[in-house]
Amino acid sequence: MKNELDEYRSRDGLSQGDLAEAVGVSRQTINAIERERYDPSLELAFKLAAQFDCAVGDLFEPELPEQ
Amino acid sequence: MTATESPATTRLSKRQTYRRLMFGSVLGGAALGVVIRNLDYPLVGEAVYWVGILAFFAIWAGSDVQLMDERDWALERRASLSAVQVIGAVAVVGASASRLVTWLTDYTVPTLVWGALYGYIGLFIVFGVCYLWHRSRL
Repeated sequence: MKNELDEYRSRDGLSQGDLAEAVGVSRQTINAIERERYDPSLELAFKLAAQFDCAVGDLFEPELPEQ
Repeated sequence: MTATESPATTRLSKRQTYRRLMFGSVLGGAALGVVIRNLDYPLVGEAVYWVGILAFFAIWAGSDVQLMDERDWALERRASLSAVQVIGAVAVVGASASRLVTWLTDYTVPTLVWGALYGYIGLFIVFGVCYLWHRSRL
């Protein structure tokens, strides 16, 4: 899933490790999300949004099929 | 902790250390157990094997950091699914091939091969039972 995690993290001056620590996952998980290889759970998505004080929809852009 | 290491870095490296210790204790215990058993100390070898296994759970229970996260569980789920698919393919093709070879030729399929195939089928049955159990709860 496309996301703006890298941009938000850079904006706040956080390393992947710092962000991982803040939301309770491994650095590898943050890396995998940023590289769009892993889609986080709803719970983690909300934690990340809360960390950056934004909405989940600001961070993640799901690729929904066109209707 | 050095001046350049953040608490997050220290915590993450602790996670890696604990995980390496956990899996290292299992692998080390199993390998050392084999060596000791081959040196004709079967009970000592078995004890070393169990020390490795118990160390795994002791580290799991005793560590103060989260050792697994949701991506680790997702990886395990994907690996389990892949393993079941490989085992299924091997069991389906292997069982048929073994029957055909037995019926059409003079070759006798070794008991070891049949044992492995029955083992695979047993794994599939376990998978099915686990699947039904989870389905009843989800």
